[in-house]
Amino acid sequence: MEQIIQVTILGIGLGGVFALMGSGLSLVFGVMRIVNLAHPSLIIAGAFTAYWGFRLWGIDPLVMLPVATVLLAAIGVLLYKVFFERNAKSATYSEMTVLLTFAIAMIIEGALGAMFSNTQRVTSPSYATDAFFIGNVFIPKGQLYAGLVSMLIIGLLAAFLKYSRLGYAIRATTQNRDAAALLGVNVNMVGLMSFAIGIGLAGAAGALTSFVFSFFPAKHWEWIAVLMSLVVMGGMGSIVGTVIASFGLSIIAAFVGAYVGSTWSTMTFFLALFLVLLFRPQGLFGEKPELL
Amino acid sequence: MTEFLKVEGITAGYGDGPAILDGAHMTVQQGKVHCIIGPNGAGKSTLLKVIAGMLPARKGEVIFKGENLKGLRPDQTLRRGIAFVPQERALFPKMTVRENLRMGGYILNDDVERDRRIDEIFDRFPILRERADQHAGTMSGGQQQTLAMARTLILRPEIVMFDEPSLGLAPKIVREMFAIVRMIAEQGVTVLLVEQNAVMGLKHADWGVVLDLGRTLFEGSAQEVLHDPRIQELYLGGRKVA
Ligand SMILES: Nc1ncnc2c1ncn2[C@@H]1O[C@H](COP(=O)(O)OP(=O)(O)OP(=O)(O)O)[C@@H](O)[C@H]1O
Ligand SMILES: [Mg+2]
Repeated sequence: MEQIIQVTILGIGLGGVFALMGSGLSLVFGVMRIVNLAHPSLIIAGAFTAYWGFRLWGIDPLVMLPVATVLLAAIGVLLYKVFFERNAKSATYSEMTVLLTFAIAMIIEGALGAMFSNTQRVTSPSYATDAFFIGNVFIPKGQLYAGLVSMLIIGLLAAFLKYSRLGYAIRATTQNRDAAALLGVNVNMVGLMSFAIGIGLAGAAGALTSFVFSFFPAKHWEWIAVLMSLVVMGGMGSIVGTVIASFGLSIIAAFVGAYVGSTWSTMTFFLALFLVLLFRPQGLFGEKPELL
Repeated sequence: MTEFLKVEGITAGYGDGPAILDGAHMTVQQGKVHCIIGPNGAGKSTLLKVIAGMLPARKGEVIFKGENLKGLRPDQTLRRGIAFVPQERALFPKMTVRENLRMGGYILNDDVERDRRIDEIFDRFPILRERADQHAGTMSGGQQQTLAMARTLILRPEIVMFDEPSLGLAPKIVREMFAIVRMIAEQGVTVLLVEQNAVMGLKHADWGVVLDLGRTLFEGSAQEVLHDPRIQELYLGGRKVA
């Protein structure tokens, strides 16, 4: 029994971080129809930001989180302006973005590799290796903090989408771009803002990831498949769906890791992606996903 | 006196494609209901899109209260008081009725005023108040059309344009839609209406405009148009329409 609780807790801890990683991806897909294969490489960029903040100046990664968010959001604005804005009207936009973001992912990986080399790194604030104990069950502090902060950020994102004026505009644009434009929404600005927010969330996820997982520039390949499985399962473009899929799959993966073998843990995500695409390509939660 | 809205010699098409409209015009009188009729593909929707600024005119002009609307985007014509409900209704299916109405007032900068106007809309359309927190996409066709039409009123427009509001609705509901159209006109709002069902449309209109192959065949009071023999010809060479 204790073992089961233990594994569930570890799964939940990872689920929170994956949920944050996936929500940025979902947002960008929902609003812009961009399948952003560069998202995980941008998460790594966020992780490096937190890493160097800690290494060079001893700044806690949780304090670096807003810095990484803003920095990555700014990179998002730049990427959007350079690569996506002009092509937004093209009929093959969504397909094209797959190749485009693939190329961007390789460029970011190359740039990070050239600057920081491909060695394994992990940010090591004291809590990263510490744990709370409840009886014999231990809760790693690093994962707990990362999971809690992820949920907080996702909560803020949901409230923003639900109640703010820009949030209304983003949801409206996701559901019916032409109708939103007709009512006076500047849909191009909405695209830019959601892209920036989505990439900013990658930065935030990176800062949290940096003390939960060890990372290196090429690590993003591993995450692409994981994140794709979460987003597809959640119904492409649904943040709520992505969050549910993240927790569900992470818990399952934790059990697979504990009882089948840790090398099989990652396979859980790929297998889930495979099964979902085979039997329920629209995702687990419905035909037409919405952000919330 | 400058005319209220002048639509003259409009030529327009999509992209580099052929001219879909070629010499379309219509007279618009303030506060009246205008019904544009014509066979499938005549260019009725295209004409409304040109007026709304969704599609630029290649030739001709749209002049609203003395101002040429050439080159204006849809949100700019909206700010000038011309609201448009396209054939597809343009709702946000996964937003609630209230949220859809709020989107209708998106360009208002005063949230309090916007919500006050939404309350007025609820008084006029009690069914929308009943459904306020329901997703728009889960309502019946008639309710969705009511929402789409009501949503335009939040900005207190001078002209509203409805593209086939009766599309896909049961006859009883269609009558309700036309009652709403009349009610809107009685408040002094000018209505431009596209209708597939010529008789039904003209019976509820003051003015009729007949479009065929991208040009205006003729226009006149709704009664005149309704009884014009050319109408019979237009609709499948003599099929009875009146
Ligand atoms: N977005 C578009 N791109 C290219 N061609 C279009 C587009 N929309 C309409 N057309 C073409 O323009 C012509 C006129 O279309 P329009 O929708 O204005 O006709 P309509 O009179 O409204 O017909 P209906 O009664 O079927 O709604 C049609 O031949 C149609 O194929
Ligand atoms: Mg039409």
